[in-house]
Amino acid sequence: MNSALHIAQLEKSFGTHRVLDGVGFDVEKGTIMGLLGPNGAGKSTLIRSIMGIVEPDAGRIELAGRPWSRESVRSIGYLPEERGLYKDMKVGEQAVYFARLKGMEKAQAVSALRGWFERLEVEGWWDRKVSDISKGMAQKIQFICTVVHGPELLILDEPLSGFDPINARRIIDVIRSLAADGTSILLSTHDMPSVERLCDHVVMLNQGKVVLSGEADVLRESGWDGSQDVVFKGNDMAFANALGAAAHLEGIAPTITQGVRKARIRLREGTTAFAILGALQEAVEVQEFIKVRPTMETLFIAAVDQAQPTQTEEA
Amino acid sequence: MRGALIGTVIAREWRTRVMKKSFIIGTLLMPFLAVGLIAGTVLLSEVTETENVVLVEDVSGLISRLDVPSQQYVPRCPGCFPETKGLEYRFVKEAPSDSIWMAQGHTILVEFDEAVLQNKAGYLVYEKSPGLEAKRSIERHLSHAIEHARVLGSTELNWEAYQRLKFDLRLVDRTIEEDGARADGGGEEIKGVVGFFFSAVLFLVLAVYGGFIMRSVVEEKSNRVVEVLIAAVRPEELLLGKVIGTGLVAITQIVAWSALSMLAFSAFQLLFDSGVMSGSPAPLSGEIPADLLTVMAENEFTATLLDIQWGLMALCTVAFFVGGYMLYGSLYAAVGASVQSEQEGQGLVIPIIMPLMFAYIVAGGAMTNPEMGALQVLSWFPLTSPVIMLVRTAVGVPIWELVLSWLLLMGTARLTLALAGRAYRHGVLNNGSKSGWKLLLQWMRGHGR
Repeated sequence: MNSALHIAQLEKSFGTHRVLDGVGFDVEKGTIMGLLGPNGAGKSTLIRSIMGIVEPDAGRIELAGRPWSRESVRSIGYLPEERGLYKDMKVGEQAVYFARLKGMEKAQAVSALRGWFERLEVEGWWDRKVSDISKGMAQKIQFICTVVHGPELLILDEPLSGFDPINARRIIDVIRSLAADGTSILLSTHDMPSVERLCDHVVMLNQGKVVLSGEADVLRESGWDGSQDVVFKGNDMAFANALGAAAHLEGIAPTITQGVRKARIRLREGTTAFAILGALQEAVEVQEFIKVRPTMETLFIAAVDQAQPTQTEEA
Repeated sequence: MRGALIGTVIAREWRTRVMKKSFIIGTLLMPFLAVGLIAGTVLLSEVTETENVVLVEDVSGLISRLDVPSQQYVPRCPGCFPETKGLEYRFVKEAPSDSIWMAQGHTILVEFDEAVLQNKAGYLVYEKSPGLEAKRSIERHLSHAIEHARVLGSTELNWEAYQRLKFDLRLVDRTIEEDGARADGGGEEIKGVVGFFFSAVLFLVLAVYGGFIMRSVVEEKSNRVVEVLIAAVRPEELLLGKVIGTGLVAITQIVAWSALSMLAFSAFQLLFDSGVMSGSPAPLSGEIPADLLTVMAENEFTATLLDIQWGLMALCTVAFFVGGYMLYGSLYAAVGASVQSEQEGQGLVIPIIMPLMFAYIVAGGAMTNPEMGALQVLSWFPLTSPVIMLVRTAVGVPIWELVLSWLLLMGTARLTLALAGRAYRHGVLNNGSKSGWKLLLQWMRGHGR
């Protein structure tokens, strides 16, 4: 068994409102799983169920192959979306407190924290009060508090919110390196570019149900609709004639520089990109021929739209 | 392991509050301010004690006569005007005008004539008020002198016989013990006052520190720390850690106040006894006793204080504090978890504070009647027992009642803690606009989000 987190048939209702409806997926060890979904999809309830904050009505949660237990939850690193720090405590003192709640001894916590403070370049803030530091700095401290005890599973809810691009990149690098070292990560976010940059796998929730899940590359590949971007030099008419019935041109091909144009084409069923490229090269000078796979955002919207009529019918 | 986690929460609650400047300043200053207030009052009365020279205008010669050799009016009953600190009497038949008797060094003029025997009234004339104490002394001395004059004027009485016949009844308290034997008793009212003092302190500590718990919970909700916390610690454990931690802060403050008050009182006593504070050496024997403790030991009030079982009193204060604090602290925490702001919480704690207020008012009434029947019932009822039982303990209460009342309190506190834990678990993650007792009770029953 190579699953860091296994969820099966999870259900949770609040009153008559069903928030989780048979949710199930796995987070493989050492991978980053993106948890996506519109507001109210059930992401927070799912995370809170994993963390033992909310008790599910039915279903199963396993951590590293073992049934869920309160003690095993303490080994998870959890960065909630709504997070904060005690304003009247010193940064270092506070980080030690959170580390101790995760079961670390004081000396061990101080040593580990010093390392992390250095790594994220906040070592000078150890003795400062939280009320004296910036929002971005506080976000870094919260991130450190989440990972300091070396968790095997990390649950990060919107980990990049509040960061400027430079610090966001730094955090992304840390997340990647943690995954490379074997940490499994469940990352919940609305920020699609970061999903594309970070996630190996994704699971999408809508109205409490999983509407899409799998490897990110596979999902994008399977969602490919035959679109290709072609950058070429030559005659428009010759370009269009070369496409023939095998593909159709989407819109017009605008000029991007002197004599160079870029066109988006879509291959028709049964046509290969290779065959089209051959035909085009005979008609114009092809400079770039790029496969346009759907973005996570496109997949996300498509999945939600697809799920909507079914659910409306059910209702 | 869970105990260690609760310990970590307790340590943080205790450390962050005890290390606050406001706590340190308050803890250090309060005892010195309290003792300073007492010392200041004593010293001020020493310093500002004025020498009153009373001129008594006795037109009818009722209480004074002319002493021929000295040509001075002197009292007919010298013993009726005992030597009193800050009070000196002079007598005249007719007083000069106000400006003249004041210029002569008198501060007060007492005017009365023969009608005083009927209307029992005279005038006290002054420029600056002599103070209540001096006025009472003058009234007492003059009444005694007039009484003397009336007895002398009577054909049936003489002063010596009257003095012998005068009778003041003193009732000595004897209480019947459980075994039916009689024992020295009395001083219940004084003991009641002492008990009320302890009750008042406990009431204040429960209300103030309960408020601290509520504020702490609201703060954790508003700064969004709580979700990280309850991912590591069960809400019930977090609540327990918070209640115990804040309770320990209260105990720390009480212990520090007691120790520092004793220290400050000792320092004041040392300075007072050495005469440094009054600016004069210790008084001679035969006058005012030299040291404070002697005065206290000879005083009826302090003698009653010595009769109180202080060990049991201290034990009960701690025991009922623990129970009362768990009970009220957890309720305050539950309220804190259900609201979004401290102001909102203030409204919701009113039903919680009502039984405590009621107990405080009843305890106040117990000062004058410490053995009233309602006290027994209220001293068993867990919501009022922490405040009421201390009054009864000071007066004297069977041990079995104490134990039973405490067990009832602890049982209720445990139950309340469990119910408040449920409400807390639901409430701390509730950031909605709804709040109120209906929702809180719903959470306590285990319903809701």
